[in-house]
Amino acid sequence: MRSQEQGRGGGRNDLPSLPSYGAARPPGLEYIMGGCGIAGTIDVSGGKMSGEVISRMLTTMRERENGLGSGYSAYGLFPEDLKDLYCLQFFFDDENAMCCVEEYLKDRGDIVKDERVPTRKVPSMRPPYPIVWRYFFQPDPLSSSYLIKGQGPDECVVDVVMGINNGIPNAMCVSSGKDMAVFKGNGYSYEVAEFYELGRYSAQMWLSHSRFPTNTPGWWAGAHPISLLDWSVCHNGEITSYGVNKKLVEMHGYKCSLLTDTEVVTYLWDLLVRRHNLPPQVAAFALAPRYHDEIERMDPKSRALAEQLRITYKEAFLNGPFSILVGRGQPDITMIAMADRKKLRPLLFGRSADNKRLFAASEECAVRIVEEDAETWVGDPGSPMIASVGKGLIRNGTEAPFKGVL
Amino acid sequence: MNAPAHASLDDKERVFDRIIPDKFRPIIDRNACLNCKRCVKECSFGALEWKDDRVVYKGGCVACQRCSAMCPARCIEIATVPSGLPPHASYTERVRQGINAQASSGGVLLCSCGTDMPYGMIFDDLILDAAQVTNPSIDPLREQVETRTYVGRRSSRVMLSGDGYVTESDGSGPVVAMDMPIMFGHISLGAVSYNCQRSLFQAAKDLNILAGSGEGGLHADFLQFADHINGEVASGRFGVTPEYLRRTAAVEIKVGQGAKPGHGGHLPGEKVSDLISQTRMIPLGTDALSPYPHHDIYSIEDLQQLIAALKESVEYRVPVGVKIAAVHNVAAIASGVVRAGADFITIDGFRGGTGSTPRVIRDHAGLPIEVATAVVDKRLNEEGLRNRVTVCAGGSIRSAADMIKVIALGADVAMVCTSALIAMGCQVCQSCHRGLCAWGIATQRPELTSRLDPEIGARRVTRLFHAWNEELKEVMGAMGIDAVESLVGNRDRLRYFGPNQKIAEVMGVKHVGEGWG
Repeated sequence: MRSQEQGRGGGRNDLPSLPSYGAARPPGLEYIMGGCGIAGTIDVSGGKMSGEVISRMLTTMRERENGLGSGYSAYGLFPEDLKDLYCLQFFFDDENAMCCVEEYLKDRGDIVKDERVPTRKVPSMRPPYPIVWRYFFQPDPLSSSYLIKGQGPDECVVDVVMGINNGIPNAMCVSSGKDMAVFKGNGYSYEVAEFYELGRYSAQMWLSHSRFPTNTPGWWAGAHPISLLDWSVCHNGEITSYGVNKKLVEMHGYKCSLLTDTEVVTYLWDLLVRRHNLPPQVAAFALAPRYHDEIERMDPKSRALAEQLRITYKEAFLNGPFSILVGRGQPDITMIAMADRKKLRPLLFGRSADNKRLFAASEECAVRIVEEDAETWVGDPGSPMIASVGKGLIRNGTEAPFKGVL
Repeated sequence: MNAPAHASLDDKERVFDRIIPDKFRPIIDRNACLNCKRCVKECSFGALEWKDDRVVYKGGCVACQRCSAMCPARCIEIATVPSGLPPHASYTERVRQGINAQASSGGVLLCSCGTDMPYGMIFDDLILDAAQVTNPSIDPLREQVETRTYVGRRSSRVMLSGDGYVTESDGSGPVVAMDMPIMFGHISLGAVSYNCQRSLFQAAKDLNILAGSGEGGLHADFLQFADHINGEVASGRFGVTPEYLRRTAAVEIKVGQGAKPGHGGHLPGEKVSDLISQTRMIPLGTDALSPYPHHDIYSIEDLQQLIAALKESVEYRVPVGVKIAAVHNVAAIASGVVRAGADFITIDGFRGGTGSTPRVIRDHAGLPIEVATAVVDKRLNEEGLRNRVTVCAGGSIRSAADMIKVIALGADVAMVCTSALIAMGCQVCQSCHRGLCAWGIATQRPELTSRLDPEIGARRVTRLFHAWNEELKEVMGAMGIDAVESLVGNRDRLRYFGPNQKIAEVMGVKHVGEGWG
């Protein structure tokens, strides 16, 4: 009964079934577009929240999904002895793929621990179900198997993820950061939460996504969040500049294999912030720049930076409608939430009365259902809200573009 | 070369010339004709004469339409003369005329403008995208849609100092901001008239875009437009002075030209008037020959040295680019050019125009700009160079649709020449090389150049490209794109609807009907 009730917004049960895929890529599909629901929450005091909190936030936005994909990412959830290791979480369609991945990993570092990710069969979810497995991994930068021997451990892990996702059939690495993990699949948001038993986890930050695509089949690895290292991105929208953005990340060695435009968004954050060392609000400007006539009215210092960003990172400009939730685990657990520069997708921010918890969601109901008295506001188009564990609310999304940097 | 065979033509042999019929003929409505002789005066090709108290046709009409357009009684119509030759699918009229012309002259056939061979236009086989529902379209009348475009070399990353200043980083160079992704190609003073070039420069200033100087240097009067001029450095080095390099907004080395890949420039001595002589710094009435190669460039390393020398000359204040003709190996060549330090690269497709070229080259050598742009973009992307350089592409950009398609195929800037000349009156009669242009465009004869009012010419060109830019905004808005940088190389926004799927594969464009998945 619950599935029918939840499925009002796009009746999976009323429509002919589309093909369903696990870790294997759907044939011929290049990327997925669609509207979606997104919700995220962070406890900036360092406290932990149960996965049930984020599940309630997401599932209340029923119209924003149709059962073709949903997912959650959790930050700050592993015990002390594991949190400094890279947690590589996988979907496997068969044991052979799993063996190949293990051999691949052993050539490039140490598997300190591995375990099956606890899951529960949900009767309403359509098979196939991939095997969900996680490895706590320590890369060995001196391994000769890496593309570039001796590079930093983060680059080694990027190398590993790209290598596996593009080279080993029926295996997909869905998250690879420290002290974080992604739980996603092909189903409604409540089904995915139930499948992973999210209530068993407590984390300092949760991001989530439910999907309402128009014309493409769902597949497990293609569901959001899309993750690389400790980045995870939930995206509501459609990137019309996808072809251009894809070229830029490919020029920097990223390989797009997840068949979604959100993948390039993830790689762009990694490129601009981790590799190019830009502060998040500067990277956000590159992704959703202000208009030229606004830039001309800026103070000289801001203008110089803004112009240089528009010129240098023109291929990073995310055109089209989007609102995104971006999670980062290092050096601090941080949530970044922003919409496109025309604000063609909804995004609302919220703060609990005790200032400890911050929220970002497609709809206000997602905040109210878990924090009835929250203070809510909306940010400026293209302007990020940034909140971080230990630092609190760094930007509320209405400040000048480079506040805190210049 | 030996003495041309036509030198020995005698009257007996000249009879063969008569078997080359005219392709066009003015039809004069005698009842309406005012006998004002205006058409005789207007016909710079001498095809009309006043005889026996009426205008008669002497022969040699090129369909420039000048007489028809200027006739106060509107009583002249230019008709295409049906071929009287016996039909043959292989030995077409064009082929037989070429054979006869060469049998008479013994020389290389010269021609002007872009090729008129019936190659399929790939642009016409490409269909644009439009947004619906999930990706809302944008109404450019209500929302901002940006078309500003930068020309120059870019750094691949922005580096910030601790206090937020942008620090210098390797590879970044000066850039020129243009209000739209259009630049005028190189049309030299000499190939066209003073008034024509003035019109182009004025239009470039009004539109805030760049115009190519052509290889003939820069007339002193045009220094006022220097902020909008892309100064060409061709193998002849005509007019290349320290001031020329110092004042122009960009400098471009011409290696090749689409209409005549592998060729240099040749301005016949009869076109070298006082004005041209002074501007090009060559003696009056002498041929201005730009050699086929630059005689200091025989390798990519040599090109690198010239780029470096020019950058020194301009003190790294303006971008230095290289123009190459689209040829079969254009992608590898472009890669080398970028690696040699070019801040921008211009690719000229084989349908590009020219004032004069051997017809055999114009019609049979080169590569369509659609394919050339796509393969260069792809190659530079694969080599991690595409985000370092500006790519300009031209050679048959006939409309805003072509401009949009070439941008989606990978060009930052569409380079346009012939369309600008058509806006000024050019009828594409392919006779520029004769220097008799009846519209005052491709001529140096004072009585003809005065026919083109530079103010009117500039206004017409300005209006044309303003209109194209508005159309670009309309199309981008329909695609759900609000800034042109997100269209550059975005082949997802194109689909191929032509006869040869292989072309689509080479260009990296999906077939019509294929969705995202």
